[in-house]
Amino acid sequence: MSELPLNLNIDTLTVPEFKEYLPELTAAGGGKISEDARFAKFFAEHPECIDLVRDLEAIADAARSLFDTPAHEPADSVWSNIASKLKQGVTDEESGTPEPEAS
Amino acid sequence: MTDGPDTQEMELQGLPKMQTKPTPGLFKRNPPIAGEAEAIERAKNGDADAFSKLYALHKRRVYTLCLRMLGNVSEAEDMTQEAFLHLFRKLGSFRGESAFSTWLHRLTVNLVLMHLRKKGLQLVSLEETINPSEEDAPKRDFGSRDPQLSGSVDRVTLERAVASLPPGYRMVFVLHDVEGFEHNEIATMLECSTGNSKSQLHKARLKLRELLRQPEQLVPLDTKEAVQ
Repeated sequence: MSELPLNLNIDTLTVPEFKEYLPELTAAGGGKISEDARFAKFFAEHPECIDLVRDLEAIADAARSLFDTPAHEPADSVWSNIASKLKQGVTDEESGTPEPEAS
Repeated sequence: MTDGPDTQEMELQGLPKMQTKPTPGLFKRNPPIAGEAEAIERAKNGDADAFSKLYALHKRRVYTLCLRMLGNVSEAEDMTQEAFLHLFRKLGSFRGESAFSTWLHRLTVNLVLMHLRKKGLQLVSLEETINPSEEDAPKRDFGSRDPQLSGSVDRVTLERAVASLPPGYRMVFVLHDVEGFEHNEIATMLECSTGNSKSQLHKARLKLRELLRQPEQLVPLDTKEAVQ
């Protein structure tokens, strides 16, 4: 369960306040806000807020799955260029000049 | 992380050091790959075939990371090339104290950020420099009840939506939600406050929500690039 910002009083929380605190609440970690019992009453009274929170949580969940599914593959020419530069001796990306061979 | 890539080099170039503590999430998300450790050791000794194997193992992740950060195929390919050339030079400094892919991802992120700075994109203040225009910004009014997303978000559609994000939003979203960097790490990398990073991430998610509600308006990804 995440720690609530000091100024936040859930009992008197308004939609604008919720909106203001949401970036901090979602960044706090400690579980999903949509499942946080402390917000159950507020969400029951403001269904648009629970809709928003669930959507943002779904987006964050889906984003994590992108990490495990690298969807793109570089063109074959990328490796050809790398191999070619390695054969020549690796070039320095700053100056474009070859680095000295390792001794 | 004592094994972070290029910390000394980045400092010399005026860039901040990466955070030194390991990120547990990245270890969990980067389990060892069969044959990788052996290939690393052989590549350190100049074995070209072993380096080729490392490229084969990591090319998709590195290229996808570059493409997600840059949103441009040509630049992403150039940066992938740079990342692996840099890897070849720096491989000897990898001591195995972190997952190799974590180390390689950090090296790649540093190179992409350096590239963006060279291009003149100031990352010093996200709010002032890469904040999107008003029309790109998410609509903040959620007083009325909009239709919800279906509960799960399709991966391909999300990729398209991420590609449609303004650069500043995309950068923070990819680094935090996809790559798993913490806000304090992103703040260091982008030279902004952690509050700024949190705010940008929230705006990015709000913008994605808008985009995902109208998936028909998203620009298709280059189908030649996508691996199904």
